[in-house]
Amino acid sequence: MKKTRSKWSVIVAGIIVGLVAVVLGHFGNPGNMQLCIACFIRDTTGGLGLQTTGPQYIRPELIGIVLGAFIISLIKKEHAPKGGSSPFTRFILGMCVMVGALIFLGCPIRMILRIAGGDLNAAVGLIGFVGGILTGVIFLNKGFSLKRSYDQPSLEGVAFPVVNVLLLILLIAAPVFIFFSEKGPGSMHPAIWISLAAGLVVGAVAQRSRLCFVSGTRDAVMFKNFWMLLCYAAILVVVLVANLITGKFKLGFADQPIAHTEWLWNILGLYLVGFGSTLLGGCPMRQMILAGSGNSDSAVTVLGFVAGAAVSHNFGLASSAAGTTPNGRIAFVICVAVVFIIAICNTKKSSAAQGVAE
Amino acid sequence: MEYLATFYTHYGAVKFNKHCDAERVPAKLMPVPRELSANCGLCVRFEAPAALKPSEHEDMEHCYAVDERGGYTKKED
Repeated sequence: MKKTRSKWSVIVAGIIVGLVAVVLGHFGNPGNMQLCIACFIRDTTGGLGLQTTGPQYIRPELIGIVLGAFIISLIKKEHAPKGGSSPFTRFILGMCVMVGALIFLGCPIRMILRIAGGDLNAAVGLIGFVGGILTGVIFLNKGFSLKRSYDQPSLEGVAFPVVNVLLLILLIAAPVFIFFSEKGPGSMHPAIWISLAAGLVVGAVAQRSRLCFVSGTRDAVMFKNFWMLLCYAAILVVVLVANLITGKFKLGFADQPIAHTEWLWNILGLYLVGFGSTLLGGCPMRQMILAGSGNSDSAVTVLGFVAGAAVSHNFGLASSAAGTTPNGRIAFVICVAVVFIIAICNTKKSSAAQGVAE
Repeated sequence: MEYLATFYTHYGAVKFNKHCDAERVPAKLMPVPRELSANCGLCVRFEAPAALKPSEHEDMEHCYAVDERGGYTKKED
């Protein structure tokens, strides 16, 4: 009985996240970008002035997600300071994942939200995302490992949530060195408290349900277990129904909000996201949750996302509604090569294990 | 007796599962049950005469005994 309940709770989690996305869209977040980890990290990076050509706004949703996961993991006694599993390799992988996400224009969550808005470019991109995950799973099964993590001092597990509290203070105090977009996607957002509350809910729900697109696909492929993917189906259905009711649903490829129609690059961008995320052990959303729950490897990965967002905009790698950029296409080739090198170098042949039967 | 072993790494679980297969120990690779961990790694459920010491197996984190009702009891590390 307990097993069945935990499975259904994953679907309930999807419904809650879907509803939160609808609320965020209603109160002002950009089209089909009600919730997106990659875009919001990019916005926050801009808000801090680390990139100066893209949207700039410290997104309270992200702060809420981290603090929501932090608080619920403390309450449930699951907060555990851990780290030391190839942190710099994770940083580089995080950068590559972000470059891919900004070529496609979204993380796996936004991919679902875009599909729910009728954006067929995202449906095409899904092919690349699944392809990337499968590539990663092949390496996992062949022996890829970033090595184990170890227990860390308490401060190591608390530092990331504290940094997020400081970000919230900077957002509210709004000193002159913090940037706020005056037009475009970075200027579109709900009141701070609505975004923060929404993030807290998503963070808590995602921590409890272990919501992750990458492990969902892994479970479906390796174990024919489709429960986690049903969670994403629930998000899709909830947002789709809301879009149909409010008249925001628009089926097609052209003129979709904050999206481009270069199908090959939509596939390739998400291929990079899927591949890198699988090696990291979780999609960008999952990294935020783990970072909030005390995992400093995930916190370093999030810093990798920040660095990836900064170079994507400062070096002109990120796509726009007009399409991809030449620099972005070159960066894609470099990043895929880097991820393959990391995958190959960290894959080892198995050695003899201890006996079990005796 | 049925046991369930959790691992620090994905590959630790895959390798242990292959090893069980090679020794003809009935074993099954599966996602870690939610009640045991907030992490989304893999674990191996297997049959053995006695609990294993995690420290003697590469990347093994914990070993649990599985009772008839599906409950888990953590064994000494």
